[in-house]
Amino acid sequence: MVKRFTTMAYDDPDEMTFGVAKEPVKAGLGLTIGDGFTTPEINYAPRPETASSKEKLVKEYKSITTDIMDRMVAVGFPGVVLETEHVQEMTNNPEWGAAVAHAQKEIMERYHDEYGINCALRHTPGDIREDRDYLRLREDKYDTLLKSFELLAENGVDMLSVESMGGKEVFDHAILRDDVPGVLFSIGCLGAMDMEYIWKDIVKIAKDHNVVPAGDTDCAQANTAMFVAGGLLDKNLAHTLAIIARTISASRTLVAWECGATGPNKDCGYEGTILKSIGGRPIAQEGKTSTCAHSDVMGNLVMQCCDLWSNESVEYHGEFGGTSVQAWGETLAYDCTLMNVALKTGTEKTLRDLFMLSDKYRDPQGYVLAYPNAWKVGKAIVEDGDDLYLRAKNAALETCNILEEGVNEGLKLTRFETKALRDAKIALEGLPDDQDTFVSESLDKYKKEVRVFEPKRNYDL
Amino acid sequence: MALKKIKERSMALDIDPDDILVRYNVRLEKEITPEEAAEELYPDDPHLKPIAQAVFVGDEEGVVAGLEKAISGGMDPLKLIDDALIGGMNVVSKLYDEAVIYLPDVMLSSDAMQKGIEYCKSKATSDMKPKGTVICHVAEGDVHDIGKTIVVALLRANGYNVVDLGRDCPVEEVVEHVEKERPLMLTGTALMTTTMYAFKHINDKLKEKNLALPFVCGGGAVNQDFVSKLEFGVYGEEAPQAPRMAASILSGANVGKLREEFHKH
Repeated sequence: MVKRFTTMAYDDPDEMTFGVAKEPVKAGLGLTIGDGFTTPEINYAPRPETASSKEKLVKEYKSITTDIMDRMVAVGFPGVVLETEHVQEMTNNPEWGAAVAHAQKEIMERYHDEYGINCALRHTPGDIREDRDYLRLREDKYDTLLKSFELLAENGVDMLSVESMGGKEVFDHAILRDDVPGVLFSIGCLGAMDMEYIWKDIVKIAKDHNVVPAGDTDCAQANTAMFVAGGLLDKNLAHTLAIIARTISASRTLVAWECGATGPNKDCGYEGTILKSIGGRPIAQEGKTSTCAHSDVMGNLVMQCCDLWSNESVEYHGEFGGTSVQAWGETLAYDCTLMNVALKTGTEKTLRDLFMLSDKYRDPQGYVLAYPNAWKVGKAIVEDGDDLYLRAKNAALETCNILEEGVNEGLKLTRFETKALRDAKIALEGLPDDQDTFVSESLDKYKKEVRVFEPKRNYDL
Repeated sequence: MALKKIKERSMALDIDPDDILVRYNVRLEKEITPEEAAEELYPDDPHLKPIAQAVFVGDEEGVVAGLEKAISGGMDPLKLIDDALIGGMNVVSKLYDEAVIYLPDVMLSSDAMQKGIEYCKSKATSDMKPKGTVICHVAEGDVHDIGKTIVVALLRANGYNVVDLGRDCPVEEVVEHVEKERPLMLTGTALMTTTMYAFKHINDKLKEKNLALPFVCGGGAVNQDFVSKLEFGVYGEEAPQAPRMAASILSGANVGKLREEFHKH
């Protein structure tokens, strides 16, 4: 059963802060996420050579888990979430991922029993639904992916997530050609349809095993746009277009929650603040503490409303201050301590605004994701919440409006960014008012332009 | 004190951003528009100029219409590839290198140029001679190909014949194509650390078969330290380096010279 969001969880953006969600989520061993506290979520990757066998992977993840738990206890942090994003071998062989989860959870239980530290384990299987040339969203690899979720839920994982990639074949073509209607079609329509397909099943597995169906992220598309856009001096994509892709992705990522997921969504979903404004559920975010994985033009801003604070991913290896997971985990936990002090002293709104103002004017992406503006995008989405196309289009158009108004408020855009924004708005305003016409026109166009687009096979279109 | 700058605006606090950050892209933006810059670079010939202009704006139909007119006027299709299509793309490449235009402009122009090349080939009585051949692939086990797509477009935009082996390309297939095509350069991209080890297997097999050539490796997971350990490895940090590397090879650069020129870290 899919229940669309047609109203906002927050009537006023000023109500939103880090560490507090309208609908907190209990997970794992003693944690309640979004209940007046922020918690670090540490994310890691095994050294590449360990992916050659199940035994090597289990050993590697045991070391990672022990190192993290040791450091959290050594420095006195009250809670932690561990997120294991699968290397493909762990999803392609579901019993490998399950063995890793089981080994990790045993260690976490030991620390919970011995020290009383609150903790939870999230696993994110890889979206393996593709072959060499084509997406294969609904065939045999889908069964393997579901098997992976099933075995993870049976073997101690507390929260299930995925970075689903429906629509990516059209998106990759469109984003490199400044094709905003193509971005809207790929993320807002195809991506959302695929999410509905996959999340109904993930939620069922989670409910059957009494674990948390957490959420998704538009990593495959909106993060690709953000990565291609790069820093201020990169010349690959206008940042005004990257943020349009991002706000469209909020309409898409929301679908997991509409299918019954409860949050926290995935850390790399920079659309998280928009989701929280609509759904009131906890969110994971990453920013300045994910510079181990990628640069960021809004590193402080994204802390503004987070409930879990993540480092995206770091390869497991030695550093001067311990292993990489200990070093980055400790940094995350100290950030959370500062936020928790603000929550306990009633100064959280000031700290939230300092985070936000640090990056609001650094880049158009941060400007739109600043929580008062993110809330406006959320409101535009729920105005047509029952229509996947119209709500995604609303998000894109509201983004254009926010940026245009932002120029009067002190946001500086290059002429290139301004032109890209103007062209995008013209393209969006020229689109049809109904989903059937838009989808039909888009199918005609992209079946011709994108060789690997198979709408019937992957989306039943 | 920065906090003194904070004032109430709407519901949230606000600040004058000039006190805390610099938008260097705004500060350094060039005054000249892309159209003005391109106008100075088009060929003067009245038959070639409209085709080059159509390439620049990514107008596929305009490119073919211009070619039709030029060929019916007696111009050689293969010469049109060099003078009008590659000529138009040279304008695009130059302005991209100078940060006057952006990647999507290059992609659209590259699509239009490819359309024009196909049309000219269909009208030609002999084969065209590209600057050289480059083989591009995404590492075995890796399906993330947007970086490779950009590399292919930029190489083609600069007049190279590209054999695109696509994504998740088996090691053996890469080596077979190198043996068959004898390209001037091989490129490989990988997003995931677990897949970049395929580059080592390719390097070892090329060595076994005495197929020495620069093997440019790049992508999210790849770093200079890893690539430097491969005998033929050259680290490609950014896609626009690919045509510059190919040009250096045509000028006689070997793996060592390429590393001197392009390894920054």
